[in-house]
Amino acid sequence: MIADLNQHTVEVILSNELGYERIAMDCSASFAKIIGCPADRIEDLKTVVAEAAMNAMQHGNQGRANAKVTIYMGFKDDTINVAVIDEGEGIRKFPPKPDIAKIIDNIDPPIGIGLFLIKQLADQVEFKQRIYGGHVVKMAIKIKRTG
Amino acid sequence: MLHKNEIKLEQHGFVTLLDIQGDITAFSEPYLKEAYENADSQGASHILLKMERDIYINSGGIGVLIQILAHTKQKNQLIGITGISDHFKKIFGMVGITKFAKIYDSVEEALEMMA
Repeated sequence: MIADLNQHTVEVILSNELGYERIAMDCSASFAKIIGCPADRIEDLKTVVAEAAMNAMQHGNQGRANAKVTIYMGFKDDTINVAVIDEGEGIRKFPPKPDIAKIIDNIDPPIGIGLFLIKQLADQVEFKQRIYGGHVVKMAIKIKRTG
Repeated sequence: MLHKNEIKLEQHGFVTLLDIQGDITAFSEPYLKEAYENADSQGASHILLKMERDIYINSGGIGVLIQILAHTKQKNQLIGITGISDHFKKIFGMVGITKFAKIYDSVEEALEMMA
């Protein structure tokens, strides 16, 4: 279970515009610097925030121009907790781990790379439908990775 | 959203260097495709993608790079990548790009090793 975002919380609300994920990414980097996160984990955090925000825009909100993506960031017990909320219905079927050899040979479609990176770089990931509508991806990033 | 890549082609012996300016995202596809096609039409056999160190590369951009790798594999061209940060070296390893394109620490190293 990923901690609730009740300590040192930052909120970023984005229009559903591809490219704006960089705003959330830069905010996450600033937040991580303030709490003393090492540079390598800041880079990991930036990637997971950007990829989750892009997934929310493209798949959650299905590109709808009037939709929003809301991102919360908090810090507790040496862990940065991030929640990325969209207005969609969540992931019905998770794509398999991308197999680059099959993608290159045109056997598999080039999908699931963002989700794969999130799972690789975050220490914990949860996908949940929200009671009052929308979907949330919660991610925990320990500022010092063990193992 | 404004997005543009400027890509310069340079010939260094056998190696055709694609000097890519700007972030690499799904919006980069037409620019990278055009630059690759130009290099290919000039008979390139060894291609080096040089990126800027502090750029933003996302999964869409990785997808575009994979398309280039597919073309180079089909045409039996040797491809290398240089200029990227340690973070993206790690990411490219995770995704498997490093199975198809060697990552070099500098242009000089790449030109020496690919020649």
